[in-house]
Amino acid sequence: MMRRLLLFAALFVIVSCGEPAGPPLVASKIVVTAPAPDMPMAAAYLEIANRSGEAIRVTGVTSPQYSSVEMHETTIDDGIARMRKIAALDIADGETVIFERGGKHLMLMRPNGTPNIVTLNFYSGELLLLSVSAEFTATAN
Amino acid sequence: MRPRNFIIAFVAGAAIAVGLLFTLDLVGKKVVPVQATVLPAGNELPDFSLLNQDGDTIDRRIFEGQWDLVFFGFTHCPDVCPTTMAMLKQVRERLASQGQEPLPRIVLVSVDPERDTPEAIGKYVDYFGEGNLGITGDLTEIRKLTGDLGIYFAKIETDNDNYSVDHSSVVLVINPQGRFRALFSAPLSVDNFVHDLPLIIAMP
Repeated sequence: MMRRLLLFAALFVIVSCGEPAGPPLVASKIVVTAPAPDMPMAAAYLEIANRSGEAIRVTGVTSPQYSSVEMHETTIDDGIARMRKIAALDIADGETVIFERGGKHLMLMRPNGTPNIVTLNFYSGELLLLSVSAEFTATAN
Repeated sequence: MRPRNFIIAFVAGAAIAVGLLFTLDLVGKKVVPVQATVLPAGNELPDFSLLNQDGDTIDRRIFEGQWDLVFFGFTHCPDVCPTTMAMLKQVRERLASQGQEPLPRIVLVSVDPERDTPEAIGKYVDYFGEGNLGITGDLTEIRKLTGDLGIYFAKIETDNDNYSVDHSSVVLVINPQGRFRALFSAPLSVDNFVHDLPLIIAMP
């Protein structure tokens, strides 16, 4: 119930301070790759479009199916792959941020049980900005 | 045009055409590698003593007898490693569908032996297809192999009692004589692998 109230509050706040014709944040191309056998982590990819009318800062992501979710970014410089945590992600009004393989991604760690569907909740502080769900896609394909 | 000029123009045009025929086939596809860096003679691998996914001790002779695509990564890597392994799986499938013989084996060498036991890396490589080879073992022995091949890796502590490993993202091609024959560097592409590997395998 609290989550629903938060979502409503978030949408209300975002809609009320901009001029969006549709939803303030639009998620698309959601892919959650299944963990390899016995591995405690999975990865998720998606695109998030900010149509709120103002800049949005994503400060955290949670999932009921995983103990921890972090925003990460892989970079490859001089042939070296490095993965670093993104503490906060700013999305300008009108901007679409792309989480994709070999770039920004969500790292899902320590599953609670054996989930088939993963829900991802994006927050700005305590404010729930966006909630999306997706089934797993086989990593090996 | 004077006859002499015509002959010169004809010879020049023919030379250009012959040159093009050597570098392009009839459909315009290049017949030289488009991405891979090929080492003409191939470099010998260093001595090392590591473990395969069955826990058996292996040395550099494990690379003899087949073509290998060798990637250096770790099983707790959520993005680059599974993406690369899945890509190499697709490469093998594409090569098989076009009748390529021999097909290269996929090899993952762990840069995180602390977590990658033989059993763990075995389950991981099996997830990306049959016949793959997983290699792990003593860190010092891994460094003998990576150091000689110019492969970088470094453990990076994170803020949640976890750690990641920075590592080279290249894929090495080892020939059946166990020599380092070619190198694919990022950005990796299935199309480029599928184009280049038959050419590399066919090279004398």
